[in-house]
Amino acid sequence: MTRYLLKRLTFSLITLFAVITVVFFLLRIAPGGPFDGERQLPPEIEANLKAAYNLDEPLYRQFALYLGRLVTGDLGPSFRQKDFDVNELVSRGLPVSTALGISALLLAVLAGMAVGTLAGLHPGKPLDVWLMSLSNLNLAIPTIVAGPVLILIFAVFLRWVPAGGSGTFTHFVLPVIALALPYVAAVARLIRGGIVSAGSEPHVTTARAKGLSPGRIVGFHMLPTASIPLISFLGPAAAGLLTGSVVVEQIFDLPGIGRYFVQGALARDYTLVMGVVVVYSTAILLFNFLADVAYGLVDPRIRAL
Amino acid sequence: MSRRAIAQFIFALTVALVPLADALSAESRILHIGNAGEPETLDPHRYNLRLEETLLNDLFMGLTTFDAQGRLVPGAARSWGTSDDGLTWTFHLRDDLSWSDGQPLTADDFVYAFRRLQDPATAASLAYFMYMLDNAPDVNAGRAPLTALGVSSDGPHTLILKLSRPYPYLLERLLYPTAFPVPRHAIEEHGDLWIKPENWVSNGAYVLADWQPQAHVHLRANPHFHTEVAISEVQYHPVVNEQGGYNRFRNGELHAIGSFPVGELDHVREQYPDELRMSDLLSMMYLVFNTSAPPFDDVRIREALSRAIDQRVLTDKVLRSGNKPAFSFAPALIDSYNAVELAHASEPFPDRIERARSLMQEAGYGADKPLNITLRHVAGLEGKKVNLAIAGMWKQIGVNTQLHQADLRNHFADLRQGNFEVAWAGWVGENNAEHYLTLLQSDIGNVNYGRFALNEYDRLIDQAQSEASLEKRNQLLNAAESVVVHHHAVVPLYTTAVRRLVSSDIEGWYENPRDMHQVRYLSWGR
Repeated sequence: MTRYLLKRLTFSLITLFAVITVVFFLLRIAPGGPFDGERQLPPEIEANLKAAYNLDEPLYRQFALYLGRLVTGDLGPSFRQKDFDVNELVSRGLPVSTALGISALLLAVLAGMAVGTLAGLHPGKPLDVWLMSLSNLNLAIPTIVAGPVLILIFAVFLRWVPAGGSGTFTHFVLPVIALALPYVAAVARLIRGGIVSAGSEPHVTTARAKGLSPGRIVGFHMLPTASIPLISFLGPAAAGLLTGSVVVEQIFDLPGIGRYFVQGALARDYTLVMGVVVVYSTAILLFNFLADVAYGLVDPRIRAL
Repeated sequence: MSRRAIAQFIFALTVALVPLADALSAESRILHIGNAGEPETLDPHRYNLRLEETLLNDLFMGLTTFDAQGRLVPGAARSWGTSDDGLTWTFHLRDDLSWSDGQPLTADDFVYAFRRLQDPATAASLAYFMYMLDNAPDVNAGRAPLTALGVSSDGPHTLILKLSRPYPYLLERLLYPTAFPVPRHAIEEHGDLWIKPENWVSNGAYVLADWQPQAHVHLRANPHFHTEVAISEVQYHPVVNEQGGYNRFRNGELHAIGSFPVGELDHVREQYPDELRMSDLLSMMYLVFNTSAPPFDDVRIREALSRAIDQRVLTDKVLRSGNKPAFSFAPALIDSYNAVELAHASEPFPDRIERARSLMQEAGYGADKPLNITLRHVAGLEGKKVNLAIAGMWKQIGVNTQLHQADLRNHFADLRQGNFEVAWAGWVGENNAEHYLTLLQSDIGNVNYGRFALNEYDRLIDQAQSEASLEKRNQLLNAAESVVVHHHAVVPLYTTAVRRLVSSDIEGWYENPRDMHQVRYLSWGR
């Protein structure tokens, strides 16, 4: 088991290094630099700027400098947000993105389970057809469309919640819903399938024959079996929510790291983009590593390694 | 009473109380303004963007400043004078100037600030805004000491600027944040961290209270500013997409926004007639030809393409966003200057097209040998529409146009490298013709995207720039423009209209071609 974990950990670190290297050089290859604008800079001014950010050094030295700082946990100064360093920006943006992602995941699981169970208990009935059509619609509509529609209905016309920005709990309502919607649908479909097939399982028939209440049958005998596929779905879903937040933060003007990522990429803010990439990939690698650990704990064939 | 009725009652009560609460809290009411994006910095010497100028004008005050109508008025300087040769400017500062921490602000603070701007260590990207100061380029390149810069003080209230060449627009140039004073004592104490809210010191009507990146910048009235302000707190919110800002305005979350989707213009005219504020921005949108390579080294081709474009159709039929058609490279809005219009601007359109066709034939193109060109533009929905219209106009004279779009940064990187045939460009800014006309000087650098070069033009511009009298200078610029207009280096298209929405709760907001609105002139109407 220890050997297995060490192996996974080494692979994770190698992957992280590879991601950092590729993104670092890709960014430098991209046309346009952080100080390009409509106006052209006199050469002495450009030289001053490049010196201030070590951009006058050869590329391999810039990379070494970056890695050296990264090892000490320093993500460097932001090229475009000149009054902040990247650590400061990430530490302000990460809580916003995390809150958004976790709330959306919770909402997706809870609402998805409820919808899926309701539909699964009435297979083929109008309620089932109606709920599943709605889910399909949800899956088909991208967040970039659903977001503005939600804003129009609930913020502009009904004025129940703010249309964008951050600061209070209410600012999170629409973004969380927009982010969770497709996942609600996906979870609902998974659970529905599980509930339908669980309905014909012998132990459920037995439970019914014993005269257990419908609530007990669903809660204790059907949902647990129906939820098993959900566990393997959660891993990719968490990653999907992370990347999905990039879009949602743009639509709702939320100051999370996804927004920094987009703004940073547009502005060629090398260090900011690198910083977010490091945080994102560390998070994803960590999820995967934890999943590996969980598999190891469950599967004796891996444990034996 | 049922539970539902109670809930309804409470809801109704809340709704009724909101305006009351608003009225009671008028003292600490916060003004919410949508800004075009996130500021990169609030250091006046490191700034780079128009959206930062907006904030910096609330936070600092230079020697000259804007009034509520956007006109130039005395700021930190109460009066000034200039020597006969136009090379020495003397500014007399107000004697009640102080920093927001109560420290007195003197002429030496300005000396420090002008030197800091040119200090290579500051790495100020707009340091060249003040290159008219004696020795400025050398100081900025590290070839001369800071003390060599043409700025000095004579006592605490007199500042002297020495220029290397006459520059009659100096007072206007001083409006830019690059000429704002910065607090030497705070910078020396905190280094680069002086810019943090807890260390902040400035001399404008407001100070920086808080900055949540990508969320808002919060400003609070500066108690040491020389006059009182009506609005004591203001938050600037970065609004990256127009639709988002428009939604937040309609929802009452923002009191003012800088633009909204152009497709909503008709709806806004109907729905928000009092809130809609349209104004013409001092600006020029134009097409530029790459004159360094065939086929655009041939002036006949350039003239033909220029003639085929109907500016009025583009602004009034295609864009329909209030932009004004332009027929001269220097915007018609510029004060005390008569811009030179394209000769064909007054011709009937069929005549223009006919002449364009014969020009194309003379240059060796026709139905059997059509000209194929690529037109580059910045990505965006609006861009697509207007570019298809231009391609259609050129089709009429037998030109096949391929469109190429890129994001703003790549677009201008390509232009600077001369990697284009015909492309969109724009220039926003000052109230003088020189600001625009120098873009076609052969030695101005790669901002002369089309590498246009004409000796006579260069000579006239150079003469103008040695002239201290504004009138004579403008005459020479005018002569230069009349020479260049026949060479069709560019096709002027239009000046941009600003479409703002400003809540009717706010008073004191006036439209102006600089689109400058300092919060200190605003007040709550209700």
